[in-house]
Amino acid sequence: MSVKVKQDYSYVGKSVTRNDAQLKTTGRAQYTADLKFPNMLYGKLIRSTIAHGRIKNIDTSEAEKLNGVKAIITAKDVPSMKWGLSPARFDENIFAIDKVLYVGDKIGAVCAVDEETVYKALKLIKVEYEELPAVLTVEESKKEGAPQIFEEYPGNVNTEIHHKFGDCDEALKDAYYVRTDRLQGQRTYHAFIENHCSIGMWDGDKATLYSSCQSVHYLQYHIARVLGMKMGNLRVLKTHVGAGFGGKLDPTGLDFSAVILSKMLGQPVKMFYDHEETFLNGHGRHAIGMELTTGVDKNGKILAHKFTAIMDGGAYTGLGIASAYYAGSLLGVLYNIENYQFDCYRYVTNLPPCGAQRGHGQPQPRYAFEHHLDLIGEAIGVDPIDMRLVNARQNNTVTTAGYEVKSYHLGKANEMARDASGWKEKRGKLGVGRGIGVGNGGFVTGAGFCQYRTDLPHSIGMIKIYDDGTQAFVYSQAIDIGQGSDTVLLQMAAEAMGIPYENCKMYAGDTDLSTLDFGAYASRQTLMAGWAVKRAGEEVKQKILEQAVEMFKESGRIKEGWAYIGNRELRPDDLDCKEGIVFVKQEPNLTLTFEEVARKYFVTKGVLIGRGWYHPGKLGGNHKGAAVGTSPAYSSATQIAEVKVDMETGQIECVDTWDVHDSGTIINPKLFHGQVHGAFYMGIGETIWEEVKFDNKGKLLNGNFSEYRLPTALDMPPVLSLTVEDSWEPNGPYGLKEVGEGATTPTMGAVANAIYDAMGVSMTELPITYEKVWRALKDKEKNEKK
Amino acid sequence: MVIGHRSKCIYQQIIRMLQFSEEGDAERQIVVKFVMQVDNYLKRGGENVYLPDFEYYTPDSIAEACQLLSQFGASAKVIAGGTDLVNKMKKELLAPEVLVSIKNLDQLKKIEYVPGRGVVIGARVTHNELVKSEVLNEKYSSVSNAAQQMAHNQVRNAGTVGGNICNAVPSADLPPIFIAFNATVKLTGVNGERTLALEDLFTGPGKTVMTQDELITEVVIPDQKMTGSNYIKFGLRKSGALAVVGVAVAVQVENNVIKDARVALGAVAATPVRAKKTEDFLKGKEVSDELLAEAGFIATGECKPISDIRASAEYRTDLVRVFTKRALRKAIDEGHV
Ligand SMILES: Cc1cc2nc3c(=O)[nH]c(=O)nc-3n(C[C@H](O)[C@H](O)[C@H](O)COP(=O)(O)OP(=O)(O)OC[C@H]3O[C@@H](n4cnc5c(N)ncnc54)[C@H](O)[C@@H]3O)c2cc1C
Repeated sequence: MSVKVKQDYSYVGKSVTRNDAQLKTTGRAQYTADLKFPNMLYGKLIRSTIAHGRIKNIDTSEAEKLNGVKAIITAKDVPSMKWGLSPARFDENIFAIDKVLYVGDKIGAVCAVDEETVYKALKLIKVEYEELPAVLTVEESKKEGAPQIFEEYPGNVNTEIHHKFGDCDEALKDAYYVRTDRLQGQRTYHAFIENHCSIGMWDGDKATLYSSCQSVHYLQYHIARVLGMKMGNLRVLKTHVGAGFGGKLDPTGLDFSAVILSKMLGQPVKMFYDHEETFLNGHGRHAIGMELTTGVDKNGKILAHKFTAIMDGGAYTGLGIASAYYAGSLLGVLYNIENYQFDCYRYVTNLPPCGAQRGHGQPQPRYAFEHHLDLIGEAIGVDPIDMRLVNARQNNTVTTAGYEVKSYHLGKANEMARDASGWKEKRGKLGVGRGIGVGNGGFVTGAGFCQYRTDLPHSIGMIKIYDDGTQAFVYSQAIDIGQGSDTVLLQMAAEAMGIPYENCKMYAGDTDLSTLDFGAYASRQTLMAGWAVKRAGEEVKQKILEQAVEMFKESGRIKEGWAYIGNRELRPDDLDCKEGIVFVKQEPNLTLTFEEVARKYFVTKGVLIGRGWYHPGKLGGNHKGAAVGTSPAYSSATQIAEVKVDMETGQIECVDTWDVHDSGTIINPKLFHGQVHGAFYMGIGETIWEEVKFDNKGKLLNGNFSEYRLPTALDMPPVLSLTVEDSWEPNGPYGLKEVGEGATTPTMGAVANAIYDAMGVSMTELPITYEKVWRALKDKEKNEKK
Repeated sequence: MVIGHRSKCIYQQIIRMLQFSEEGDAERQIVVKFVMQVDNYLKRGGENVYLPDFEYYTPDSIAEACQLLSQFGASAKVIAGGTDLVNKMKKELLAPEVLVSIKNLDQLKKIEYVPGRGVVIGARVTHNELVKSEVLNEKYSSVSNAAQQMAHNQVRNAGTVGGNICNAVPSADLPPIFIAFNATVKLTGVNGERTLALEDLFTGPGKTVMTQDELITEVVIPDQKMTGSNYIKFGLRKSGALAVVGVAVAVQVENNVIKDARVALGAVAATPVRAKKTEDFLKGKEVSDELLAEAGFIATGECKPISDIRASAEYRTDLVRVFTKRALRKAIDEGHV
């Protein structure tokens, strides 16, 4: 049993003010699009207007004549090396060579003296195509004789996964009840508020790229690789980032073009998307068709589970390969399932590519599973929460797939959520049109492997103490995309050094200046960058304590024969440092300030630096694809939602929500609750409203925020966010685990189950719109009349 | 009058014009703020392209405004709050060469009760001014409530009654409730004024009987015998959603008998429509749940909705049934809400 050692922390566990709070609330925070450099030029991408076809001719002559146009580039002007996530699926070029694969595909870039000229020039460029038949749905993509989008993906199958653990067929034979359900998810979009923007500039053979991104390291890696540069010659950095949710992890055409155009023209170049283009850039959630078959015993214990996922991948692969694995890789984590099978087919279609979106591949399968579980429970007469308690994973266990799970308190989370929400009084008792539902979820706390093959550590932290000891500069390439990673890293660094949080300053997300971290994805930074800065802080502290011993001795304040020390000399481990005060543990009145000790160190030994290193080491799982899913720590959570359904109009109102999280130590409660609140916001939106739509030519229909409907503040219910107090994760610094992505995974299940409880019809297609509910109720009425 | 000139980067231009014109009324501040928001949004990579060039006039009288409109003909457009017009220009659905702003016409900014005429609402009154109006809150808070359900706060600060009507969008929220009150509009052109019933103004989506030189100057809600009224907007979320269906009703109920009723439907036909059969059915009948349910059914026969990205025709039709019934119930039980 991992039990939390209650510690008296100064900053860990405190809702300190975010380090960027003032800048952001006063509007002074600079985002990439706010940056201006002398002589800066502006650029945009030329995009395909058809879904599938060969480029016959690109006529740029009219545009080139336009006053102020500086350059127009297409595939012939740039390297042709392909990129992607896994080498077997490097299938994307900087600009389309020969063939365009979706409406919005990248054909080239225009660069001019100002934005207005760029827009005008774009209109003057004429692209001639030979149109090819397009496939716009998985059904079309699967068909015999369907148009082939890529030579390398015969039958348009981009990825196929077959995982088999135990023996499902055998186990199903003994089952008390077996049930199959089919559910369908939808394509959604991250809807971050800051669109992509990149600025490139050169100095000799060295380039600098500002990009609104989630990982400066991966961006540097991809761009350097494709452009044939040494990574060290390409500095990638970000300013403030207006969220990402997975959509700023793949490189974009903007990044490549900004670097290439600024080199060509010898001037800085800013490339940007508007909202519609960001939708077209895509990489949001896949629409997944899901079939689930589960056998249970009388109590609802799962004996075997078969899951098939059919994913609409859109045009290119990018991170989509990982999404495919994540759709099933965590199947055996939440619930203890000994026999299971996961089959997945990711198809390519002529639509914008899909990829990572908060919860990566998991939220729709979780919705399907959680709803399926309720339907099973209903059939065998077991309460939904009891169903989950029977199957919940326990502490210190190993999953069927071989993943090692240390802290795990899913059962406790269910019990707490049940009690907090008044479940027993409400479930099945709220009357027609009102319902309550539960969903469980969780996520990895960081991926066990780098996205490309390497032996690099996953995170390096460095802390430099300012000469006079009054400031600590913390370095990491961790990316604060709004989630507050800078703040929690500073909290952990301050705690480790024993100096005030307010005296710490972050230098993050700059490949030149800060130290390696793979960035914001897979809910990894608080744990991985957390370890790195904590260890860097501990090294600083160690050096301070050593220095302090020398100073105590020199000062004569420690006399030989002094009570505590006895006959031995004072040692660093007799001392500690907290909140900027170095003291002798057994004699707390004997103190020095951190500042005076640090200054002395600087004077006598030079700059005071602490370094930290983190690599997760070898983790569990040996099957093909184990790399996606293996992690040092797994979070879990239970969410409960209460809804009202207007039985005449189908209108759904989410009236109340509860979340109980098993996230280990909570470093900053306010930021933690913010993540939970935001997760509900996204999850409720994806359950009821959000869907990216296209017409029958593959043209985007709702690339804006009036028709791509996100919930508004008025649509948001109150959120009660609780934590499992005694959750303590041995693999996390200070015992922490993730909350960022896992928190979105239970929501759709919880809300969908509540809707089911309210209306009595199982809704098997996301989003569960008002009209779909209305129609289902009408159909039910008709059937009952018959 | 500010003499119009060709403007390059139009947002900067408008901001400058607004900032440097003499007096600083609140409305202007709001517009400045709105334009600056749009400007910032664009800088962040906002929704769309640059506005085409245009000339900009700010006449000081209604007559001058009409004169300009007549002079420039089809190439000129009135701009009020700009919440609709600027969007259309950005999307290049419209490219007026001349914009005639009515921002200096303060006589169009009042809401007042004029004995004998009724409640007179100036065309430049914003949605949020309807929301806050004491006159309306006291007499017909159903109008304020209808305005409150529109758009977002930012748009409600800028968008105007005149703009909402002249747009002639089937889903516009104000026409149904005004029509339920049998409101009239006053049009002023170079040849003088005319008054007509609001419901006779619309001829199709985006189309009205107005001539190029005409302005809407006011909307008048005549004195009412109606004892209750209500507008229900059904959008696909609670804010910032256009109406999928809008139902406005006004009823005169005495001793539980419906003496008179007017029902106006939005977003379910090419223009806002009166549900006259429903009205006739209701008149003279005693209020009961069955009666109102029946009225809902009748109303479904009086709309011709289309299917679009937001809803199917079938769904809209059934929503008309539900909301006619509910709006009637509210107006009967709770008065002008
Ligand atoms: C985000 C958003 C949400 C919206 N939501 C809603 C909603 O929920 N419900 C709704 O009904 N509308 C909505 N709208 C539409 C719009 O805001 C309103 O219709 C608004 O009332 C328009 O007024 P305006 O003053 O901004 O018009 P403008 O854009 O200035 O003008 C609109 C049209 O009317 C003409 N015009 C304006 N005033 C006059 C006049 N006095 N005489 C003659 N012609 C005139 C203009 O020439 C133009 O053709 C929304 C708009 C946006 C941008």
